[in-house]
Amino acid sequence: MRNIHDTQLLFDLSKPGRRALRLPTCDVPVQPIETLLPAGAIAEQAPALPELAEPQVVRHFTNLSTQNMSVDSHFYPLGSCTMKHNPKRNERAAGLAGLGDLHPYQPESTIQGMLALLYDLQEFLSEISGLPACSLQPAAGAHGELTALWVAAAYFRDRGEQRTKVLVPDSAHGTNPASAIMAGFETVTVKTLKSGAVDMEDFRAKLDDHIAVFMITNPNTVGIFEPAMRQIADEVHARGGLIYLDGANMNAILGVTRPGDFGADMQHYNPHKTFSGPHGGGGPGAGPICVTEKLASYLPAPIVVKRNDDNQAPVYSLDYERPKSIGRVRSFFGNTGVLVRAYCYIRTHGPDGLRRVSEQAVLNANYLLSRVKHFLPVPQGDRCMHEFVASAKQLKTERGVSAMDIAKRLLDFGVHAPTVYFPQTVPEALMCEPTETESKETLDAFAEMLFRITEEDPELLHTAPHTTAISRPDEVAAARQPTLCHCG
Amino acid sequence: MPFTYNTPEDEAAMLAAIGVGSIEELLEQVPADFRLDRPLRLPAALGEMELDAHTRRLATRNASPTSHACFLGGGAYDHFVPAVVDAIASRGEFYTSYTPYQAEVAQGNLQAMFEYQSLVTRLTGLDVSNSSLYDGATAAAEAVLMALAASKGRTEVVLPDSLHPEYRQTIATYLSNLPGQVVTLTTPHGVIEAEALRASVNEQTACVVIPQPNFFGCIEEADELTRIAHEAGALVIAAYDPISLGVLKRPGDWSGEGAGADIAVAEGQSLGSPLQYGGPYLGMLACRESLVRRIPGRIVGQTTDRRGNRCFVLTLQTREQHIRRDKATSNVCSNQGLLALRATVYLALLGPTGLRETAHLCLQKSHYLAEQLCQSGRFEKVFAAPTFKEFVLRDRQADVAGFINDGLEHGFLAGIPLGRWYPELADCVLISVTEKRTREELDRLAAIVSSTRHGDAIAAHSALQTA
Repeated sequence: MRNIHDTQLLFDLSKPGRRALRLPTCDVPVQPIETLLPAGAIAEQAPALPELAEPQVVRHFTNLSTQNMSVDSHFYPLGSCTMKHNPKRNERAAGLAGLGDLHPYQPESTIQGMLALLYDLQEFLSEISGLPACSLQPAAGAHGELTALWVAAAYFRDRGEQRTKVLVPDSAHGTNPASAIMAGFETVTVKTLKSGAVDMEDFRAKLDDHIAVFMITNPNTVGIFEPAMRQIADEVHARGGLIYLDGANMNAILGVTRPGDFGADMQHYNPHKTFSGPHGGGGPGAGPICVTEKLASYLPAPIVVKRNDDNQAPVYSLDYERPKSIGRVRSFFGNTGVLVRAYCYIRTHGPDGLRRVSEQAVLNANYLLSRVKHFLPVPQGDRCMHEFVASAKQLKTERGVSAMDIAKRLLDFGVHAPTVYFPQTVPEALMCEPTETESKETLDAFAEMLFRITEEDPELLHTAPHTTAISRPDEVAAARQPTLCHCG
Repeated sequence: MPFTYNTPEDEAAMLAAIGVGSIEELLEQVPADFRLDRPLRLPAALGEMELDAHTRRLATRNASPTSHACFLGGGAYDHFVPAVVDAIASRGEFYTSYTPYQAEVAQGNLQAMFEYQSLVTRLTGLDVSNSSLYDGATAAAEAVLMALAASKGRTEVVLPDSLHPEYRQTIATYLSNLPGQVVTLTTPHGVIEAEALRASVNEQTACVVIPQPNFFGCIEEADELTRIAHEAGALVIAAYDPISLGVLKRPGDWSGEGAGADIAVAEGQSLGSPLQYGGPYLGMLACRESLVRRIPGRIVGQTTDRRGNRCFVLTLQTREQHIRRDKATSNVCSNQGLLALRATVYLALLGPTGLRETAHLCLQKSHYLAEQLCQSGRFEKVFAAPTFKEFVLRDRQADVAGFINDGLEHGFLAGIPLGRWYPELADCVLISVTEKRTREELDRLAAIVSSTRHGDAIAAHSALQTA
């Protein structure tokens, strides 16, 4: 049961002399520290950390945990984030001695089981994307985007082509243009229509021979499959450019279609979304990328390779000899802990199961859309893939109730809010992604809550939530006069 | 499909409400010529028991720091993880939640991140911390980008060879399409030499990255190096080991209290996170107040709610990609919240005394082992500079692979060969000792070295491969 009163900071709980962890006494001859380290390098005192007893630490963080909504405890239809069930079996596997405790610089002969798993995962991701080469190194979706854009830059440099532009639809995730800038490109924004589709007229006006990459999210951020995907891919390719697929929405298309088959040259995955890696309160994720054959040699090193000698068990190793590689994008192999969970998820589902994941995700989203559209307009129309974006614009105009008001009031009903105000192309946006791991009953209850909220007294909504320990933090004050630490 | 709910009756009712006859009809949004007309070529589904058995089988094909005493370091360390850390981090309310977009239902995460930021500022002696980045290498790269942006017009980044090679490679990748050049500082004696640094910095130098302890485990003359960089108008980026701060001076205090590093980055895996073959880890980044608006990634701030209660929110978001898009300070979206939580719990358990004792144990035990190994006659210290918990030894028999194989046979992950990164150190090994290593293990490792002769080490460690 929640203990809302126990919210003191660690530093307020501290008392000199308290200890939690006790370390063993030193079992080797102790030398005076001054003989081991130069005087100038030694700290005069230990850092001002709080002093606490173990039960205090446990109670403090346990009570903090109960102030979070989570997938384990609540319906969490946060659009674009694919907050699906996080299977416990994956947690167990990822924590096994022999998988969860491997040092990144162990000799390859001592990690053949891990390398076999990672090799197979490379193969699985390539098969699911229809793109034959895979790097597991990137640490997050945005990091995968950046890595792919570095790959694109290296590819064009290798070909002696000066290409400067990355085209990004105005409905794209903010990471797309931000990644393009970090990879040294300029970004050109392409408009989208009310339906969420790319405005082909604007696209064609902005397409020229300087295009390096068109970054497209498909299904896009309003949850529709891009109707002009064929033309976009053909026209970008005709100009010598590449198509990058932001894989945030892969949960809609597993086994249904493959980015490599609809024109993508590169894509990232968000295994923490599509393949159920837990989101960890903000991270970690991972951002493996897959690319076409012609881009394979530019991928970061190392990549896991398999050698089959006659009548021998296969031997796995790390291939660093990749002279055209863009190099490293981080330290060590990758976010392996997240990748092991993705591997387990794919093995649990198999080919039919993965397709069924997407079928059920699409069914749930369309069902919710069919219930919600009667009281909250969905500008994109009657169909979606795995998510849809409703608009509270009319409600705002008529009754002064904003998307934020609705989001905050939903918290009182015990569900997490949808993503609000994204994409920026839909006014008063509420982006709902129920995922496949929710029941019809939950979706019905959610739709009824939303309906009830739209009928409620606007004053009640402006001050919502009413049942949470805190309500409507002053974000302006937080940013204007930042207090960013309890400093010693 | 163990994780879905809909029964055939549910599906029928839902399809009727939508107004379609089948799920296939919904999927017709995808043009027919894009549709995959075959099942994915993936292995058939495994039930939970089969998956459990399968993953355990894979795990037994690996040696690990659980089965072998681990002397591997190089930026990832086998420090002890108290049970409380695992217990807290495996609470579903923490690990199955996401970025705290709705502060009212995420105060647990937000307060924990505020506490994390506070601990990092106290550790480093700097003013502000973000709520974490991917890992130490990307934190270093982001710090370099911050420095380049802050020192308008200056384009050179001084990186010593004593900085982790993978950090240098990562920084090079981040700079590959941007203005900004790496100036390499060679460190033939294992540490940056003051004169060499003085000769490398000038009015073009945006920043100098100073590792402490460095990749070889050596202690850099951080005070003097900081003064030299600052005199040239360059910013100082410290790349520190958080455990070392139990004995070593905080980066913010290098060259005098409050006069030290401008940005401090670290790999935070040491603070309570499992090794898990290289990630996910914890990128720590703290800096001076003056650089706060250039920080990449999420930051949590304290404020009050409409009833006047203290609470926490994501703040300074106008730096970030979801608001600023192509004008953002970085493309970073997620943080490493769960790893930052682990670090917070870990530091809360250790306190100042626990951190100091941990650092002391590492220091004492690593020096003991270095001495024992050198006494065997087979190894010699390569660098004269003092060390913390890691050290480089030269194998007089020039058989590093043999040493590592001997170690494996006797139950040790004995060290990291340096030849991959430093061809001139091909006969050298990097050995790391944490507080977990016992004298018995140290003595046994030294005994193997004394008892094996060159050429004995051929016997295979094949038990693992045949498992």
